[in-house]
Amino acid sequence: MKFNLSALLLLFFLIFSLGLEAQETYTLNGIITNASSNETLIGVNIIIPEEKKGVITNEYGFYSIKLPEGTHIVEISYLGFESLRKEITITQDTTLDAALSESSENLEEVVIKSNTEGLNIKSPEMSVNKLSINTIQKLPVVFGEVDIIKSLLLLPGVSNAGEGASGFNVRGGAVDQNLILLDEATIFNSSHLFGFFSVFNPDAVKNIKLYKGGIPAKYGGRVSSVLDIYQRDGNSKEFEAQGGIGIISSRLLAEGPIVLDKGSFLVAGRSSYAHLFLKLADNPNSAYFYDLNTKLTYTINEKNKLLFSGYFGRDVFDINQNFLNTYGNSVFNLRWNHLISDEIFTNLSLIYSDYYYGLTLNFVGFNWDSGIKNLNIKYDFNHYLNDAFQLEYGMHNTYYEFNPGEIAPVDENSGINYFKLTNKYALENANYFSVEHKISDRITAQYGLRFSNFFRLGQNRLNEYRNNNPIIYNAALDIYQEAEPISQRSISRSEVIKTYSNLEPRLALAYNFNDHQSVKASYNRMAQYLHLISNTSSPTPLDVWAPSGPFIKPQILDQFALGYFRNFQKGKYSLETEIFYKDIKNRIDYVNGANLIANNNIETIILNGKTRAYGLEFLAKKNEGSLTGWVAYTLSRSEQQTPGRTPIESGINNGKWYATNYDKTHDISITATYDYNKKWDFSANFAFQTGLPVTYPTGQYNFNGISIPVYGDRNSNRLPAYHRLDLSATYIPKPEKQDGFRSSWNFGIYNIYNRKNANSISFRENDDTGRNEAAKLSLFGIIPSVTFNFEF
Amino acid sequence: MKNLNILLLLFSAISLSSCEEVIELDLKESKPRLVIDASLIWYLDTSGNNQEIILSKTTGFYEEEINPVTDAEVVVETINGERFIFTHQEQGIYTNTNFNPVFEKDYTLEIIYQDEIYTSSSSFVPASGIDYIAQNSEGGFTREDLEVEVYFTDPVDENNFYLFNFRNISESKISLEIYEDEFTNGNQVSVSYSNEELMENDEIHITMEGISPAFYQYLFILRSQGGNNGGGPFQSQPATVKGNIVNETNPENYPFGYFRLSQADSTTYIVQ
Repeated sequence: MKFNLSALLLLFFLIFSLGLEAQETYTLNGIITNASSNETLIGVNIIIPEEKKGVITNEYGFYSIKLPEGTHIVEISYLGFESLRKEITITQDTTLDAALSESSENLEEVVIKSNTEGLNIKSPEMSVNKLSINTIQKLPVVFGEVDIIKSLLLLPGVSNAGEGASGFNVRGGAVDQNLILLDEATIFNSSHLFGFFSVFNPDAVKNIKLYKGGIPAKYGGRVSSVLDIYQRDGNSKEFEAQGGIGIISSRLLAEGPIVLDKGSFLVAGRSSYAHLFLKLADNPNSAYFYDLNTKLTYTINEKNKLLFSGYFGRDVFDINQNFLNTYGNSVFNLRWNHLISDEIFTNLSLIYSDYYYGLTLNFVGFNWDSGIKNLNIKYDFNHYLNDAFQLEYGMHNTYYEFNPGEIAPVDENSGINYFKLTNKYALENANYFSVEHKISDRITAQYGLRFSNFFRLGQNRLNEYRNNNPIIYNAALDIYQEAEPISQRSISRSEVIKTYSNLEPRLALAYNFNDHQSVKASYNRMAQYLHLISNTSSPTPLDVWAPSGPFIKPQILDQFALGYFRNFQKGKYSLETEIFYKDIKNRIDYVNGANLIANNNIETIILNGKTRAYGLEFLAKKNEGSLTGWVAYTLSRSEQQTPGRTPIESGINNGKWYATNYDKTHDISITATYDYNKKWDFSANFAFQTGLPVTYPTGQYNFNGISIPVYGDRNSNRLPAYHRLDLSATYIPKPEKQDGFRSSWNFGIYNIYNRKNANSISFRENDDTGRNEAAKLSLFGIIPSVTFNFEF
Repeated sequence: MKNLNILLLLFSAISLSSCEEVIELDLKESKPRLVIDASLIWYLDTSGNNQEIILSKTTGFYEEEINPVTDAEVVVETINGERFIFTHQEQGIYTNTNFNPVFEKDYTLEIIYQDEIYTSSSSFVPASGIDYIAQNSEGGFTREDLEVEVYFTDPVDENNFYLFNFRNISESKISLEIYEDEFTNGNQVSVSYSNEELMENDEIHITMEGISPAFYQYLFILRSQGGNNGGGPFQSQPATVKGNIVNETNPENYPFGYFRLSQADSTTYIVQ
């Protein structure tokens, strides 16, 4: 099948290259960089107005376009940079590299600033959100900690399961359904301190792009969204440092040339430091997080470039040396950019990534370790075939090792026996091609196919069950019970125990009425072979990942989206509205009271269910002027259903659809930034959301001396509505200073009217009176913050 | 692995240190159901003749009074035709004083209430005895609370499940702990009880009961639903927890509660 696919691809290219290459044209290509640091820029517009042609730079700053012989004007523009206009005469294949300068504020308003974050009307790309780091850094945030994921929550279709919940939910999808890539490497857990902060150091990030739908064939392995983050390369011109001191954490970043104009390094560190004060106060407890980003870039020659990236982050909790908990991600990758020809750009990535969770409980006497490791090789091609066709194709291979847990005694006095949950292994590969096809002046399409395969490899102690049924329904008692394995087999790791293959078609179409109005439609099917085993309201750091296999099927998504897009006044304002429907098969659900922790036989407590989500998204933005910002509104529904396997079985929640834990009917965010003068700017955001679904008790009874609540249908109640207003101000003492030590202050107030938003409502017996009561928990009241940022 | 639940509680404790307030919240009330608390306990070195079964109905969540069922017929039978009739005393408590506990025998519970028949069957689960009780002052997460440790030796040749009931008579509080020997099979181990309010001279009544895997699972779910574990981002999904008793007449009108038979050891400990 793989060979057939390659043959098909080849045929495809041949047809394209033969049929459409009649006119005498040459290739113009190059790399666009930031003039001050030589960093490549992603998504720069290169436009040849008289030819009505254009292209944007890829993730590595590269572009390629076909032009007829002759003299052309080339316009190069990028948000936050001064535009360039160049005249170029083309008589052969030509390379045009360009360096753009950041638009500096002291030039006043004379220069045409290309600050317009207007919409790309003609591209079939839809359901995509980009946020510039500049925008993110100005938004008010809790404790003043600039946070990429928290900023994404202000966009339509993106939400989370409450303040302090980890991860994020896209269009009613679960947290584990987001593919989070940092320099092309998968990040398995995006949160620090459970969910209060995200693991990305904003200073080290160059570009952020979130795909909520219409996901190109290049991406796969998760069904809800792709968050594609690229780290900065480092300055290959001169040494620079920047940093910041905040309430929770401090940051420092250093970058500079290794070989002038050719090689650069970047090192960034961030750490929280509240624990240091605890130490000073002789408090033996501590809780902190840190992360480290590194990047090395070296340009070998015009055709070859090497990039090395690393990320290492940890959260540490230490309570009295009695309870020690460490977890986090590590990522290393090596990439090789190579130009095969003027129109074929390739990137080969070799990636290692892991997530580790460790716990020592001295009072119980055990050590616990779990995690997931993966090794990933990707080879991606960008092929700029001609005016009508741009191709992307490539192959991805990933090897996974899952460690669901290992328990060991801390010392010889411990009553704990050594116990190892069985490691699992798997191989995932995918071949894809994707075509961006300009069908006519009005219609552009992006279509592609991803063929993914998942091989579950041999392992020790693979359980076998009677009738291949690991979970038994007891009809008399109406409960699900774990089946006892009838035997266990050990299978060599070179053998495949289960194979899944999926064809994942992707299609997106754009029809533009004119230069500023279009409608777009998309369909994508995606397969997800990994599952985060979690049955709490929001995932916890100790949840383990499990592969698909004999008992767990891959999740399969079908998503449709339709949208209307419009720029007003040459992109000064823009409007995006979309409706979407998605349907996910094989979403596992957990039987009542399933114990997931240290459970070696997860298959005995899960049932196969499905989810669906649909909604309307609306985003109106003001992109220019001293006042910028947006209004985002989402109306949506996200539900889950797990019926019984036979008509007799009751399934979960009696087989009825129920709202997912993160379903929010209405979600409104209003964000505004006002550039008051060179020294001051002000930002505000307001959020209003329907309360999260919860289950309230409908009664109680007494059993063995304790009071037991009786619950109604799952998630049939709602917490009170959530809303808050945040303000922030940025002050730059010496805005005219371009070199040397520069600084800025950020002042913020989170939740300014101190709304006590319910994070949860719990039901309990009052310790003193013994009466039952409902207790509302609110996490963040009004929180002022100050952050000091500097660079030199 | 109940101890890992402590971890979840701790997570909640850290993250939820913010602001908690008791609120007035109107709750819908579901139709009352029969609740059967049929725990027949046979203490080591006793005849086990005296047994009780408690019947009640579910009440509104905020109700303070229980709603006893006083007019049911309660019988426990064996396959050899032994019939132990439990008669109502007061407040929904039904007793029998000539019960005959035997291992490896099936007991059937039959309750007739409002013309509906509820049944279940079960057998005795043995328990090893308590070895000794120790005390330290390094309990709780602060390692500063008093802690009572109950030591016992787990039999090596099988998978055992236990229920520990700590009743602080001075404070009139009950704490249930469940224990599984999955990670400690065959070892001498301890189960501990501590809380901030535990004080010197507190009288603690401790029972250690052998329970079946199914009852362990039932208690595990009950605990995850129960009072102190509710709420927070790490809350497990609330659910209807059904026991092992079936309404034969009208299965839709299922009861809550459990019928189980346990051998047990008990002792009283005065905190020093």
